[in-house]
Amino acid sequence: MELEVVRHLARSALQNLESHRRRIDDLNVYPVPDGDTGTNLVLTLRSIVEALDSSTAADSEAVAKDVTRAALMGARGNSGVIFSQVVRGFVEVLGQHEGVSSSLLSRAFRGASDTAYRAVKRPVEGTMLTVIREMAEESERKENRRLRPNELLLAVLARGEDALARTPDLLDILRDAGVVDAGGAGLVEIARGMVYGATGDDLPEAPVEAESLGFDAIHQELSQYRYCTVFVVEGDGLDKDALESRLELIGDSLLVVGDPTALKVHVHTDEPGHALALGTALGVVEGVEIANMHVQTAQREERLLEGSPGALATLETGLVAVCPGRGNRRLFESLGAARVIEGGASMNPSAADILAAIEAVPTPEVLVLPNNSNVILTAEQAAALSEKSVRVIPSKSVQAGFAAITRFMSSASPQDNERAMLEGLAGAVTGEITVASRDVELDGVAISKGAYLGLVDDVAVVSDADLEAVVLEVIDRVLAGRKEILTILTGEGAPPLDGLVGALEQRHPDVEVEVHEGGQPHYPLLVVAE
Amino acid sequence: MNLTTENTAVVLDSTSDYPEAPSRFPNMRFVPLYVRFGDDTYRDYVELGPAEFYEKLRASPVTPATAQPTPQDFVEAYEELSAYERIYSVHVSSKVSGTFQSAELAAQQLGGDRVRVVDSLTASLAVAMLSHAIQRRLARGTTDQEIEALVARFHEDAEVLFTVETLEYLQRGGRIGRAAALAGSLLNVRPILGVDDGVVVAIARVRGRQKALAEFERRFVEATADGPGLRVAIAHADAAEWVGTLSEIVWRVRPKAEIEFTATLGAVVGTHAGPGAVGFFWFQDE
Repeated sequence: MELEVVRHLARSALQNLESHRRRIDDLNVYPVPDGDTGTNLVLTLRSIVEALDSSTAADSEAVAKDVTRAALMGARGNSGVIFSQVVRGFVEVLGQHEGVSSSLLSRAFRGASDTAYRAVKRPVEGTMLTVIREMAEESERKENRRLRPNELLLAVLARGEDALARTPDLLDILRDAGVVDAGGAGLVEIARGMVYGATGDDLPEAPVEAESLGFDAIHQELSQYRYCTVFVVEGDGLDKDALESRLELIGDSLLVVGDPTALKVHVHTDEPGHALALGTALGVVEGVEIANMHVQTAQREERLLEGSPGALATLETGLVAVCPGRGNRRLFESLGAARVIEGGASMNPSAADILAAIEAVPTPEVLVLPNNSNVILTAEQAAALSEKSVRVIPSKSVQAGFAAITRFMSSASPQDNERAMLEGLAGAVTGEITVASRDVELDGVAISKGAYLGLVDDVAVVSDADLEAVVLEVIDRVLAGRKEILTILTGEGAPPLDGLVGALEQRHPDVEVEVHEGGQPHYPLLVVAE
Repeated sequence: MNLTTENTAVVLDSTSDYPEAPSRFPNMRFVPLYVRFGDDTYRDYVELGPAEFYEKLRASPVTPATAQPTPQDFVEAYEELSAYERIYSVHVSSKVSGTFQSAELAAQQLGGDRVRVVDSLTASLAVAMLSHAIQRRLARGTTDQEIEALVARFHEDAEVLFTVETLEYLQRGGRIGRAAALAGSLLNVRPILGVDDGVVVAIARVRGRQKALAEFERRFVEATADGPGLRVAIAHADAAEWVGTLSEIVWRVRPKAEIEFTATLGAVVGTHAGPGAVGFFWFQDE
């Protein structure tokens, strides 16, 4: 197993999975319809790809170790955690040898299946587990013994597809909803990407439009618990079973996987704090993610209802946006961005990143929201490099970009969109609240290190140790001059906003205030008035 | 045959939001659709007026549903008009309601070609405007050919812009059509919608009432020229504050236009548009 080859296969798998992500998100009804199986698998696989990029592993065993670790650390959601165990079982076998043969591949598939089954307390058939088990069985069939590695992979893939198609026969909830299992579908697409990467053939085109799902698939019961909670505990001699039995008392959809030095936990619970406390009691907790599944379910329903049969609009204009923070990413995606590139103040994407996103959008006409003054030029470079017709909407900040994207419609022409979005930018006043990193005087405002600093349209206007004073001053200023809507994007270090929103409603009774979890670093609050 | 108000009747359904038609013109009729709250069914406007409807909508735990008139309802209306040699039965877009279908069945049941059923391919006050355009021609004497030409031109030229507080009601009623591509209804995004070839389409999205008004104004100005014969109508679902503002816009940008109707959307249209919806209609007639 050579690093270069594994890099190539992982990238190919990721590329194929990305193009099916939305479809897989929408399939997700088991175990709870949280609508992000595709996204979770993409994020899991992405972290493997990133780890491989920075890996210096010299031999097969070291590659296996890096991949296993990255899969564990990056695993998101139920499906991501199980997938991380498929990966672990697979590469642990391959890591024992330098070369690859059909019989070794067969043992690797067996290892993948067994490891995945062991990770789950009560394995359920009709899921990703069934798909990987049947793939392993196919690789072991006597008739397949003489196949060369690439031929064997194709046979295994075909069996995986077949097993996936039969998942509704095994799981009532899938049959009732008229869908195949989302995790299984993700695994098949990952396998397809790898197999095509290995054979060197071009990947089949992914469907651009989501499959239309029946009404029953759209409306599924909410999970009894609200929060999907995921974290890693690192320590020495971690007791997997003990942690598992404690977590079992406070939630379901429980998965605890890993080794005595690092355990990955996935649980659906109403008490995410309690779950984390169980982790911190054992070691250092990292990579915490808590998602409100009820919101996810509502968004999924909305997305699917919008895309219900006969209602698909023609896609005229694609949109690429650069955004910092997971919340902002989701916000922009929900408003129609076909691709969101992670980035912003501290992490400017390259022209190549933006170009790749432009090329990946399935329309010949593309708009780009750079959402940062330092990215506008890069976006224009990318636009010039692309063969597509690309227009850059010069949004200087993510909140300005938000005012623009709310006016975007993929069914409208790029000219109309550009006009509407430029109007959106022109009518928006932006503000941001950050923490000063040093003593300085800026735009006539004396600022001391560690104090809160408020800017309006990029000009410093206020600095104070009291956050609320800074926030209210910034907001008073952005609302000056007949504004109707104030949007607040909360970032890392954001304070609780209940009191603030109340105060705002009193001071500005005619203004509608909406708050979204943006998740951007460095700026506890970003605001925009329209 | 020379068609006049003496020998030709016009039948509307209640989605035209023009319940005054029969009292204003002896040759006009108004056939109600049905609104159902749980087990209670009401005839639109006749048993449930707009004001009571919005009050009920706020108070009721169940969401209302609507039903088209039965073919029999139309048969009765047509029979009552036996003194007329020709009936134009003008209805809401067949792509959003089965009303046109019921009227067609009734016309077939009566046989002959006395009843002409017209698919307006639009809704609400736009249909009322079409009925007035027909009535103006009947008043001076007209022909079937001229009315057919009018309807064809109306299909092309009549415009509707409307905005809703939330897409929820349109989605629930399945009346969303191609406007479905609008995302983000949670985000204080006001969709600007239109009707194209009888179905609801998304035109733009804006944030807030002021921007919606500005969008209405821009599109109205782009599509019209100031002059006599430009007719405008404004309808709202329990959002009367829009009527004054929109009227002022019309008087300012198109001072020669006539505001032909203003109305509150009735229970049936209101069920599908939801409270807070506002419709803005125009048609350049002679």
